[in-house]
Amino acid sequence: MTDTQHLVSRLPNDIGGLPSETVQRIDHELEPWEKRCHALADVLDFHKIINTEEKRCGVEALGSEMVGKLSYYERWIVAFANILFRKGILTPTELALKMKEVEERWSHVGNDS
Amino acid sequence: MVEPHHDHDHDHEGHDHPHAEIAEAGRPGYYDIMETAVRELLIERKMIRADEIRRQIEVIDSRTPALGAKVVARAWVDPRFKARLLANGRTACEELGISFYDDTELIVLENTPEVHNLIVCTLCSCYPRPVLGLPPDWYKLKPYRARAVSEPRAVLAEFGTEISQDVEIRVSDSTAMVRYLVLPMRPDGTDSYSEQQLADLVTRDAMIGVIPVQLQGE
Repeated sequence: MTDTQHLVSRLPNDIGGLPSETVQRIDHELEPWEKRCHALADVLDFHKIINTEEKRCGVEALGSEMVGKLSYYERWIVAFANILFRKGILTPTELALKMKEVEERWSHVGNDS
Repeated sequence: MVEPHHDHDHDHEGHDHPHAEIAEAGRPGYYDIMETAVRELLIERKMIRADEIRRQIEVIDSRTPALGAKVVARAWVDPRFKARLLANGRTACEELGISFYDDTELIVLENTPEVHNLIVCTLCSCYPRPVLGLPPDWYKLKPYRARAVSEPRAVLAEFGTEISQDVEIRVSDSTAMVRYLVLPMRPDGTDSYSEQQLADLVTRDAMIGVIPVQLQGE
């Protein structure tokens, strides 16, 4: 096998059967934004704007570095943004401007509270 | 959990954690802001409505393993229901008033003295959410997803579950469209239990297949 063959034969999500560590039985309550992100995913699916399979492929398309380093719902929201760009529903500029607007709503909250 | 970045694949060292840093100051993090921005843009374009998001959050909150437990207990006390459940999981759950808010199929896998079932989603996190709610983090993380299909007995042992070597273990890998639910074996000594008492014994992990249903205190 060449050094790169495994990159071709297995995409980042395709981990079934690989060696891995002991299962740690961890869980957490979703943060509010994570729950909103999940609800957004469901609503996008209901309207056939982004279905579950497109979401999964969108996460895979983030590449192994982002898949490895972003948390579960971080991967989802970034994948949604990319899919919406690709479908021509949003542009990166529109999202950047809206994110700036949202961030400025919090400008009264200090960094050192 | 104290660690906010629970879901990283054990790759914490040396990266920026903008979300954690900003969250400490009471301000939303980068991805939180991105979620709000995407949602608001889609609402402004009238592609989705704010009340749909609110309603779906309520639906998510309403789905817990208690629903699956009700299905399992009914199957234990009503053989005809059980037959319908095994024939078509979705329509049988709908009989009990459990709606499916997505277009997934549900296949119910019966544990027997000969076969023990385990469910996984190796590719991501597909899970029978209408009847169990959201999956636990360990179900979504690499160790379970990677190993459940190749060394299920070792994985089960990590949950304290020893399955006899003469019992076949079947692992079912979920997809975007097909979800599974394990129908565990009814424990001995429960002949006098009411349906509700039986339902109270049935846990989320038993319906994933990583543990059997046990009597309380066992």
